[in-house]
Amino acid sequence: MLSLTLLYDPDCGLCRRVQGWLADQPKLVELRMIPVKTDAARRRYPQLNHDLTVEDLTAISDRGEVYFGPKAWLMVLWTLTKYRDWSYRLAAPELLPTTRRVVSLVSQHRYQISRAVRFAR
Amino acid sequence: MNLEIVTYILYLGISIAVTVWVAHTLHKNGRIFLVDVFHGNEPLADSVNHLLVVGFYLINLGFVSLALKLGYDIATPKEGIEALSVKVGTVMLVLGAMHFFNLLIFSRLRHRATLRNAPPPVAPDGFTPVEEV
Repeated sequence: MLSLTLLYDPDCGLCRRVQGWLADQPKLVELRMIPVKTDAARRRYPQLNHDLTVEDLTAISDRGEVYFGPKAWLMVLWTLTKYRDWSYRLAAPELLPTTRRVVSLVSQHRYQISRAVRFAR
Repeated sequence: MNLEIVTYILYLGISIAVTVWVAHTLHKNGRIFLVDVFHGNEPLADSVNHLLVVGFYLINLGFVSLALKLGYDIATPKEGIEALSVKVGTVMLVLGAMHFFNLLIFSRLRHRATLRNAPPPVAPDGFTPVEEV
């Protein structure tokens, strides 16, 4: 895999914060970001269900492999030099259910979290 | 030759011999790790291996010479053997610690190198065609 593209929600302060942090991290795989449901996203992935990408983070590799929700988060960790170790730990069968639960919780409440910690919407 | 001098000479002889033996073991068996870490780049692996062994020699021989001074007089051969035993024991423990430290460096390097080429942690949920724009 040469690059991973993230379809992120530009309306969510938390997501923008995370995006800024990601941009500064050393990476093993190139990470690209495209806001969800934009023309750029539709042009690049004409057959993808773009309504679904608003629900949770979507990551797509340069070869077209689609990772959705918790898997997309794990893939983001996997691209980072310092956190690749953690992607395997969190994806281990013992921890994966917890990872899924926590990630879904954060994703579903991303607007509330953004407001609570005052990352403007 | 008095007892102290004999003790010193024996101490230096044993310490240097053990240092050379450990360095040789490290050099011989560490190479394969380094070749793996540097993806089969043997000249680079040999170079790093050699540099590591030089550092190992400097630290250990430095410690051996610093620890030489006994600080008290030896009257009997028994005391000489005891003093020698304490000195050589200390040197061996330091060598052992250094050796494991080197192994730790090797395994860290190797872990980092394998992680770099490791596959994704999860299988994809699906596939979609990508239009390069």
